[in-house]
Parts: sequence; C-alpha cells; structure tokens
Amino acid sequence: MLPMNHIKRTRTYLCLFAAACLLLSNASSYGQKNSFSTVSIGVQSKMVKIYGAGGIKGLEAYQSGFLISEQGHILTVWSYVLDTDYITAVLNDGRKFQAKLVGADPRLEIAILKVETDRVDFFAPKTAVDLEAGDRVLAFSNLYGVATGDEPASVLHGIVSAKTPLDARRGAFKTTYRGPVLILDAMTNNPGAAGGALTNRDGKLVGILGKELRNALTNTWLNYAIPMSELNQAIDDIMAGKTRPRSVDETAKRPERPHSLHKLGILLVPDLLTKTPPFVDRVRSNSAAAKKGLKADDLILFVNDRMTDSCKTLKNELSLIDQIDSVQLIIQRGQELLEMELNLTDGT
Amino acid sequence: MNISLLKSLLARPLQSCCLGLAALMSWTALATNANAQSTIGEQEELVIKQAVESISNSVVRIETLGGLEKVGQVLVGTGPTTGVIVSSDGYVLSSAFNFIQQPSSILVTLPNGKRAAAQIVSRDRSRMLVLLKVNTDQVLKPATPVARDQMQVGQWTIAIGRTFDPKRCNASVGILSAKNRIWGKAIQTDAKISPTNYGGPLVDLQGRTLGILVPLSPQQQGEVAGAEWYDSGIGFAVPLTDVLPHLEKLKAGTDLYPGLMGISLKGKDIYADPAIVSVCQAKSPAYNAGIKVGDRIIEINGHPITRQAQLKHALGSQYANQTVKVVLMRGTKREEVDVTLTDKLEPYQHPFLGLLPSRNPKEQAGVPVRFVYPDSAASKAGIKAGDIVLSLEKTPVKNAAELRTAIANAEVEQAVAIEVKRGEQTQTLTVTLTELPTAPPTSAPPAQKIPSDVPAERPAVGMVEIKIPEEKNTCMAYVPENYHPDVAHGAILWLHEPGTKKEDPVIEQWKATCEREHLILIAPRSQDPARWQATEVAFVRKVLEDVLANYHVDPTRIVAHGRKAGGALAYLTAFEHRDLIRAVVPIDAALPRRSPLKPNDPLERLAIYSFTPQGSKLSQPIQASLAQLKKMKYPVFEAKVTNPQGRLADTDLEQLVRWIDTLDRI
Repeated sequence: MLPMNHIKRTRTYLCLFAAACLLLSNASSYGQKNSFSTVSIGVQSKMVKIYGAGGIKGLEAYQSGFLISEQGHILTVWSYVLDTDYITAVLNDGRKFQAKLVGADPRLEIAILKVETDRVDFFAPKTAVDLEAGDRVLAFSNLYGVATGDEPASVLHGIVSAKTPLDARRGAFKTTYRGPVLILDAMTNNPGAAGGALTNRDGKLVGILGKELRNALTNTWLNYAIPMSELNQAIDDIMAGKTRPRSVDETAKRPERPHSLHKLGILLVPDLLTKTPPFVDRVRSNSAAAKKGLKADDLILFVNDRMTDSCKTLKNELSLIDQIDSVQLIIQRGQELLEMELNLTDGT
Repeated sequence: MNISLLKSLLARPLQSCCLGLAALMSWTALATNANAQSTIGEQEELVIKQAVESISNSVVRIETLGGLEKVGQVLVGTGPTTGVIVSSDGYVLSSAFNFIQQPSSILVTLPNGKRAAAQIVSRDRSRMLVLLKVNTDQVLKPATPVARDQMQVGQWTIAIGRTFDPKRCNASVGILSAKNRIWGKAIQTDAKISPTNYGGPLVDLQGRTLGILVPLSPQQQGEVAGAEWYDSGIGFAVPLTDVLPHLEKLKAGTDLYPGLMGISLKGKDIYADPAIVSVCQAKSPAYNAGIKVGDRIIEINGHPITRQAQLKHALGSQYANQTVKVVLMRGTKREEVDVTLTDKLEPYQHPFLGLLPSRNPKEQAGVPVRFVYPDSAASKAGIKAGDIVLSLEKTPVKNAAELRTAIANAEVEQAVAIEVKRGEQTQTLTVTLTELPTAPPTSAPPAQKIPSDVPAERPAVGMVEIKIPEEKNTCMAYVPENYHPDVAHGAILWLHEPGTKKEDPVIEQWKATCEREHLILIAPRSQDPARWQATEVAFVRKVLEDVLANYHVDPTRIVAHGRKAGGALAYLTAFEHRDLIRAVVPIDAALPRRSPLKPNDPLERLAIYSFTPQGSKLSQPIQASLAQLKKMKYPVFEAKVTNPQGRLADTDLEQLVRWIDTLDRI
C-alpha cells in the first residue's frame, strides 16, 4: 500500500508539468521542433495501457507498456498483472486487444506481449540513447490508471538524479535486478507507472520505468528506470522465441523416456486454476531435487531457459527432456533468483 | 554560447523568464557562432550539470555505524547521507536527521574519495543541523554562500546529495518556492528533498550554496519532524548565510538553541491581535531589559510588528545569547530596549494571594472575596471574605480574570500593594505572596447564589449525546437537571479505562455530584473500545468545544480526568490543549512517554491531582512523572486511593470535587 502523499505527489507533479508546458509554449523562441508538447505527441502514439490480474488488496490491475515493433510487440514489466490468460492492451488510438504473452525475463523483470495488428508506431529498442546524470527526461506512463481508452498517457518531467547500480547488498532492494538504473527526480514510483517509457527531452527512448521499489537504506520510495542497453539482448531472445515453452509446438519431438516431476522428487501445489503458478509444495527426501536444495514454496520460472508460467507447462516441458539429460531450473525463492541443475542419477 | 549570460538569465525568477528568453532570442539571432543551433533546453542542462560539478568538491558522503534502528514511528535508514564542507580545516555541516540513530561511529568520504573518521562537534537545535569535524590534513573547499538579498523566489535551485554513488553527486532540480519559512528559519524549494539529500546543499545555477537541506515542520519540533513530506515538492533548506556567522561558536563545541524572551501576549489569535505583553516573566530576558505588562511591541531588529505572528517570525530565526533591538509603545511613549535572548527560562512558579473569588454576578468593578485560605498571604494581611479587591500594585482590576493576570506578573515572596474595599472603607494593604497550594482547603462557602427561577429557554439537560460530524467516536455528556445558564459550571472530561462497557458506572456515580456541585461531565468513547489512540485528543477537544459553545462553563475549571490509559490520554489532552484545560486528574496513570511537555505558563494554568493506588504496577513511572512535573513547578497533588479498583470511594470523590471547585483560586 502506498501512503496518501504519493497521490498528492503525483498531482503536484502533473500540475507542475502543465505549468512548465504553458511557460514553454509561451516562449516562442523555444521553437516547435524541440518543445515538450511536440515531443509528447510523438511519444504518445507508442504508449500502451495494460490491464490484467489484480484489483485486490491494493494490487492495481493495470500497468504501462510501449510498442517496440511494427507488428505489435509491447515491452512491459513482468508482474502479477500478467498472471492471467486475459491480458488487455489498449493502444493510444483507443483500440483494445487481447494480448498474448510472448515471453519474459524474470532476472530483468521484463515481459513482451503481442497484439494482432500491424503498421503501428513504435520505438526501435536498438536506437535507444544513453543518458547521464543531470539530463532532462520525460516519463510517460498510465500512473494511477488516470488515462483510459484513447486518452494519452500521463507525462512527468524531471532530470536524471544519478546513474547507479541498484545496491547489490542483499535485502537493500526487493528486486532481482542488479544492474545500473537511472534515478529520477520525477515521481514515477506510483501504481501503474511501471512499464512506462522514459525518453530524453527530444522524445528518444532511454529506458523502461521500473516497478515500485522501496529503498531499504533510506526507507524512501525509489523513482527509477532501467536503461534499454541493459535489456536489448533479453528482448532479442524473447522475440526470437527462445524463452517460449517448446511444448506449445505440437510437433516437438518427445523422447521415449522423459523426465517427470515424480521422478525428480517434486510435488507441485494442486493445479486448480487455468494458469496455476508452479510453486513447489513438497520435495521428496533423497530425491534429485532434494539433493540440489529445492525447497517447498520455491517458484519454478524456467526449465532449460524455457518459461514455465503454469503447472501444466512445466509438466509438458519436462516431458520433452530425455532422462539422460540434466534439467536446468531457474527458481524464485522470496526475492532471490536461484539456478540449479538436476540429474536423475543424483537421487534415489 | 555565452554561458555566463545564460546563467544570469536563468538565475532570474521564472516570471521574468519570457522577457529574458526574448532578450536571449534577439541575442542569439545576432550570434553567428557554431552553437547557435543548440536549444535553451540543452543550454539549461549544461548549466545545471556544471553547477553540480562545481559544488561537488564541497559535498561529502557520510556513513554511520551502530545506533538505534527505530526512532518513534520512523524506521531509521542505514544508508549513506550527505554533508557540506563549510571550512577548509575539515568542518562539515549536515542535517540532524542523519544522526537520529545516535551512531557509535561516523565515517566521511571526502570529495577525493578518501575516507576519514569524524565526530559530532556541536548541534544547532533551532535549525536541526549538526557540525562534524573530519580528521584530515587535507585542505578542503568550503561551499560559497548566497546572501539572503540575492535569493529570489522562482530562481532555479538544485538539491544535491551524495548517497547513490560516492564518486558523483545526485541532483534534483526545482525552483525556490519561498523565503522565510518555518518562522524565518528556512527557505523552501520544490526540488525533491528526501533522505537521499538531507544534509546536502541547495545550490543556484552557479553552484553557490543557498542552504543546507533539512526536514522541518512549521508545527512540530525534533529531528524527524517534516520527514513525512519527503519528495512531495515541499522541501526546506536552512540558509548557509544565516549559519556561518555562528560557525566559530559551533566549532568551539557550543550548541545553538532557539532564543527565548520570556513574555506572554494578550489575546489568542496570533494573526489578528497586536503584540501586547500580558505577562513578563520575572528574571526573564524581557524582564531584565525592563519590558512591562501592557507594552505593545512594534518593532524587532527593524522589522515592524503589527500582529503577534510577525513577532514570532522575527524571533523565530534568533538564537539564544543574541541581542535583539525591541521597540515598544508604553502608553503613547516610544521606548527602545535591547533584549539578550536565553535558551532556557527559569521554570515559572505561580504566586498565590490566598483567596477564592465570588462567582456572583457583580454590580460594580473589583473582585469580591468568597473565601480566604487560612495562613495565606491574604489572611496574614487581614483580608476577609466579603471584601472587594480593587487594585493590585495600583493597577485596577475589574474582575477575577484581571486579578489573576495581575498576580501572574508578580513573584513568589514578592510584597505587593493591594487595595481592598470593606463596607464603605478602602485601604491599601501590603501582602507577601506565597506559592500556589496543591491540596484543597477543608471547606469553603458556596461560590455563587443559585438563581431560583427556571429559565425560559435552556439547552438539553440530563444524558445528552454529543455528535461531531465526520467523527467515528461517540460521546455522552451529563448536564445537571438543575442547569441554569446564569451559573458558571465546571466541566470534567471523563476518559474511560479501555475495555469499559458503554454503560460506564463512573457516569452514574458522578450524576448526583454534578447536580449538587453544578458540574458537566463529558464522557467521550474511544473509537476502538480496547484502546485509546494519541490522535483521539483531537476528538476530545471537539466535544469540549461543542459543550463550551452550548453551555455556560467556567474556563478556569475545565478538568481532564481518566483512569489508566484514559489517564494517560488526559495528560496528553491537557498538554496538547493548554489553552483550554486547567487541570489533569489521572487515576493510576503516568505521563505518556512522548507527551508534548510544555513549561509551566503564567496564564494558561495547569494543576495536577494524581490518584496513585498503592502497589500499582505503574507506581515507578507515576512517581517519576510527578517528580518531573514538580521540578517544572507545576502544582501537583498526590491523593491516596481508598478503592484501588473500580470507581472512586465517595470520600475520595468528595475531596476531588472540592479541589475542582477551588481551581479559580488567586
């Protein structure tokens, strides 16, 4: 839950920006080319409002995203909002789509969605620019879900306060991302802003607004964006389908003697939902999984670099791996990401 | 592009920006250099970066080790904080917020990246700053201050910290929102101020320091006050130029305190009433400078004063031991005095004449005497019940309130001249004042003749429900059936013990007493039946104000009374609302740890009547509280409790009621 002053903050900032726009538009010398309003219009056509799971206990069921291909790929943050089969994406022109999850990278906490359309305006991730401390920025997002339908996203302005790695000290930040971030003096740490676009004052893409994060060292909310340069490799991998479960492909070759949860010694939570997240319920003692330290409540995110977003997918993925091969797992334990390699020969 | 021109342009307030831009426009049109293409936005960015670069040699990173994890409700951050170099020999100013955990060790990273140990040398307890001395031989670059008269509301400001990256400063850009905030102690900015830059400098576009960033609150004091406004667009900085004149003192290890004068002013609306002295505390700086009751302060250090708030502003920025020039009007005469402020006033002790005033409606001026305390100053001078007090020290007194104010200006053991009328004879007596008694007298005659007529119109009597819009708490009051608007009633706020059922037997017990003694009992309920919250004192005030608006209540006899946690809340209510509450009667309760203790006040009297059950689990803290209050010269009475549990015994209640009846003593 966020304190009330977050709301106050946002309001202050929007007003401030409106005032700044007015001021600058009055100043004719500023020129049409570089005015914030022209820049803003250029960016808005690439912004996407995303709606999904949530809506309870202060977890908002919306977030932001932006288009990164002409074919309708959308970059956003990986969060609970995407834990549903019914992700809705609303483009800037108000068109509403059911979006498909193409893939995700939990280490960077990003996900890519796709909507069935073409010839949309988009940011090319490769052309993103790097900024340094002191540079002016604009942050586009649907914070607090203020905008709906074809209403443009909210814009905040500020500067890059600092460029710094997220403190890697354990527990300082509740996130798995450990790379460099741009600290902003615009208040982007508000519900719904995550996944928004950070641009420079010319509207060139700089990074993606991060998820809500509290700085445990100062006990304050952190306003930050992850630079695109940190994400491009992962975006390529996801778009190339490298993280897609193989099991969706019905022609995939199945080995005669595949792995199974039972053989590895893993018991998952009861599969009750259409997409039950694959949490470990129990681990059989002396099993291959127990030997490598898998524990109850661990969430299995990847099997051999393929994303396992449900118990069903996990089972199917295992059925595609031969028993003689090892199984690479990426699991989430609390806020930590762990990797482990399971071999059937380890267990009894 | 000529940066200095741009700097001077950007240093202007935003209002004149359009004009400035137009000027720059024409200048740019004439310029033929290669950078003519660059936009204002780019230039502005460049200037900001240069300002950050230029101040960064005077900004240090501070790390602390050890200490507390939590101070009050605030979880203390453990991350690095910021400080500003103020002299080349290793002195650094920072925000007191950064040291609330009372660290066992302080490390400072100098701008060149070298770490050095540092100690706290002294504190500015008015502006919540800390001066550190860093153990280093290096010659450091002190920050350059900006003079007050060069600061302009609307100019660009950059808030600097060194918390994310030891090698580079972090910055947030805004404008100067206001000058003279927090009673003149601070300037305000809309740059984002938070623990990531508390203790760092607020600089202008030339990298010169306007102030040191600190959390501050206009209402509260202490290190964490105002921290809840972090990143909100409301941030404060203490002007460096105000602190530097006191640097030598701070370096010598002397703490700076807010300067106090020792006067009370007449009237309660600080935004409307003129600054007329109603009490000038004995031995206070004002008293020593010859300021007298009735003086109207019209100027402080050249600042004209027409309302009390302006006086508060002019004095708010002053430190103890500073001398201020005070101009005042005494009658029609203009006087000028120099007052040397102090950090601590001697605790005020109420002097006592030894009489109870009559509450009968009066035909003439003066104070009719209802009762004279045996062995009191008044009794020794021969004053008798039925006499009428006409003046004190030649100042005529029209009523009891005026006599009370006049006495408040005298001292214990001071001999004062009092003019008394007995029958047709008037005589002037000399009385030597004593201390205010703590115990009730054994008996006293009725204070007022009760009118026998039944008033034509009167508000609701009996059990009355008091409803306050938009409040979840409920409240019942008992108004005696014999309520008459001509009778001044005492008011008792009863704050129940948590867990008490709604049909509180204590209310039943008071009913007969209320009828007999003309008292109104007000019994607010806690929102959660199981506990009182400190914030509920606001509701308690609202119900009291509601009663005051509808019934005739004697302002000298308003009592906050409660048992256990209710008693603690009674203390809180009394200290929070000193302007209304005149007595606290706690049963088995100590002062809450974080109660806003205020010094004893000449006019806003507060007396304490503590019921201390034998063998109470709280007896130690209760004794400590009472000792503390006595040390502050509050009149404290400790009553024994006959019934340790449940309601008060009848004899205990009777004595309490007699005490409440004498709260208007003079």
